[in-house]
Amino acid sequence: MVVSLISIILLAPLASFAIFALLGLAKRNFPRQDYLSTFAMLVALGCSLYLIQEVVSDPKPLTVEWLSLGSVTFSMGFYLDSVTVIMLIVVTLVSSLVHIFSIGYMHGDPRYPRFFAFLSLFSFSMLFLVVSDNLLGIYIGWELVGLCSYLLIGFWFEKDSAANACKKAFLTTRVGDVGMFIGMMMLFAEFKTLSLYGDNGIFDAVTTLESGQIAGLSIAGILIFCGAVGKSAQVPLHTWLPDAMEGPTPVSALIHAATMVAAGVYLVARMFPILTPTSSLVIAYVGGITALVAATIAIVRFDIKRVLAYSTVSQLGYMMLAIGAGSYVAGLFHLTTHAFFKALLFLGSGSVIHAFHAMHAHHDDEHTDDAEHEHDDHSLVHEHGSEIPPDQDMRNMGGLRKKMPWTFGTMLVATLSISGVPFVFSGFWSKDKILAGVLGRAMEWNSVHHYILFSMALIAAGITAFYMFRLIFMTFFGEPRNQEMHNMAHESPWVMTVPLIILAALSFPIVNTGWFNKDYVKPPEQHHVSAPQHAYVSPDTKTADANFGFSLFGTSEAEAAEEDGGNGTTYTDDAHYAVHKLAHNIAMVLSICVAGLGILLSWMFYQRRTFSAEGVATTFRPVYNLFWNKYYFDEFYDGVLVALTVWKSRLFAKFDLSFIDGIVNGVGKVTRDIFAAFIGFFDNRVVDGLVNRVAEVTWAAGGRIRKIQTGAIQTYLFVVLGGIVLIILIFRLF
Amino acid sequence: MSLQHYLVISSILFSLGIFAVLTRKNAISILMGIELILNSCNLNFVAFSRFITPAESIVGSEVFRFDGQIIAIFGIVLAAAEAAVFLAIILAIYREFGSIRPDEVDTLKG
Repeated sequence: MVVSLISIILLAPLASFAIFALLGLAKRNFPRQDYLSTFAMLVALGCSLYLIQEVVSDPKPLTVEWLSLGSVTFSMGFYLDSVTVIMLIVVTLVSSLVHIFSIGYMHGDPRYPRFFAFLSLFSFSMLFLVVSDNLLGIYIGWELVGLCSYLLIGFWFEKDSAANACKKAFLTTRVGDVGMFIGMMMLFAEFKTLSLYGDNGIFDAVTTLESGQIAGLSIAGILIFCGAVGKSAQVPLHTWLPDAMEGPTPVSALIHAATMVAAGVYLVARMFPILTPTSSLVIAYVGGITALVAATIAIVRFDIKRVLAYSTVSQLGYMMLAIGAGSYVAGLFHLTTHAFFKALLFLGSGSVIHAFHAMHAHHDDEHTDDAEHEHDDHSLVHEHGSEIPPDQDMRNMGGLRKKMPWTFGTMLVATLSISGVPFVFSGFWSKDKILAGVLGRAMEWNSVHHYILFSMALIAAGITAFYMFRLIFMTFFGEPRNQEMHNMAHESPWVMTVPLIILAALSFPIVNTGWFNKDYVKPPEQHHVSAPQHAYVSPDTKTADANFGFSLFGTSEAEAAEEDGGNGTTYTDDAHYAVHKLAHNIAMVLSICVAGLGILLSWMFYQRRTFSAEGVATTFRPVYNLFWNKYYFDEFYDGVLVALTVWKSRLFAKFDLSFIDGIVNGVGKVTRDIFAAFIGFFDNRVVDGLVNRVAEVTWAAGGRIRKIQTGAIQTYLFVVLGGIVLIILIFRLF
Repeated sequence: MSLQHYLVISSILFSLGIFAVLTRKNAISILMGIELILNSCNLNFVAFSRFITPAESIVGSEVFRFDGQIIAIFGIVLAAAEAAVFLAIILAIYREFGSIRPDEVDTLKG
């Protein structure tokens, strides 16, 4: 039953793509590919929802042998636990809604069917990645989603910026994938398998490792995390994600906000049992730095999609931080809530862009006379080679609140959610849970690292609230900055607003925190956390349980959970629980404070204009420049890595030309001038001489002997007669 | 007349034939020489057949055997055929070289 359901989930989108591909081979176009793909996704969604009840408490991998190489057998299979089911639902749900939205958004595109076919292929790959029970399957899905990302970022490949962006995305993620592959091979060399679950799986084998081998395990964990760094756009490989916004906006929502980039987080969560304290700390710090760096960059962007892109990077860093700090459940919880509200934000921005789309033709003069455009000195060329498209530039927006009420309302919900406005929005709960988990860990262990991580997360939360409300204020409030474009704007058709409304509904915790009910998601054991850290995982579960119910008064749910007393097995230790409860309360208060502060500042800057954003920017010019130029990551890569690669290539080319070619030419010269000359001499003198001598001797002999042949027949007869006489004489005489 | 007389005459004919073949400058004369040689052979055949009868014939009855004579007749027929071919060749040579002197027909000279 489970297997057939999973098979249907996988095969439905694959079949949709296959139909497109086969018709494509037959040079036919199927005009209703959109309905086909959407239907396939809805089927997959239905099966995923049905699977919720199938989850068993002790999941077993469902595998078949796939490939035998000598004594090693690679198996392929599915692994279904609560995390898988949640990911399945997130992927199929967001994918379905994005399909529906795209019917409106992509309408009239010349490659309309192809777009849906690619979405189907992507959905299949992502679902395959999610259900795989082994690293090989995950890797296959991993590369397939990378391919689909490449194809969809470059969907409008006529634009140079899109063509460059898709190449950049593909190559940058490949850097991380190399690390991931090396990590996989390290695990394979050690355990002789790539299966994660089951009796001989990696997670089983990892329990038997001795303490001396933990260092190797740490390295393998960090290397596998490298793949996640690439895919989830963590610092320092985050630069591709903002550029990936060159793709169509539904793609940004599906791939670059909700699902594919979350695959990295999912991978790290899947590999949780092999993470050692060292590798966990690395993951947490990378996540924390990413959250801060991306959030600060987002403050100064003007392109609405780029703001959201950096926001995505920042939130992904948040999830990494959570999982690295041991808050497994919190990380996954934030993954799901983020998937919905960020998909909503992207689709909302897509709706806004769609409203402005008609303006494409005559926008050229809009840009230069812009009032806020006082940064002429840093030209917009820094937005990687392209100026901000006018229909995505927030400086052209403003006052859209009344024009697009549905878009505004739903985006506001998502913004409140991501900003962490307390109690009624899901983002608050997941973010709060991360903060509480990290702070609890810090207080319990008295760990400086975790205090640092906590403050990073807290600051990032405040900045998030600030830039998200900046986006809302600039787009929907105030006076229209560009009257001509404003007049053209209109609310989007219902196929686009309905997905927005559904996603908005999913941003309320009553709908989605239930998934993270107590005992539904349980963090796996980490075997290499030494004795004093053994409570590492368990109390987190408890806080997780405590905070997930929907409640207007967050603590009351926590108290209710307290009476339950948890699972009553490993962590009945009241001291731990008390610490975590205290941490949770502190974290909640602090997170509400920073969110409020961020929103307040944003309101004062961009709505009430108590302070001038430009004034602050001028005062702190170096800091502003740093943010505006995205910490010079791209410049660093262009100036150092790319230049280094080019320099190195030139060096090798020179080496090739002078050294390798020199050797080859030298050998050629020696061969020609010495060996060939000698052999030529030998040929001319000895061989030819011999042949010529033989010929001359023969010739001379022939010249003598031919004289015998007189041609006179009587001479011959005479000789014959003489011969006969001679023979007779000889026989007579002897 | 005994066998020796025949053999002496045959030898004289043969020698004259050889002499003619080796010395004459005219192809027709050479043909004549060859005919002499052939006929000396025929004479030998008949003479031997007449004077030296095979052993078993003597023992059996008074029957003559004509083996030598028959061979001689074959030889005469052969000589006639040979003469025809030879004359044809000589005609062809004459057309080709304008001469029937064998020492002038020496294209195969080495």
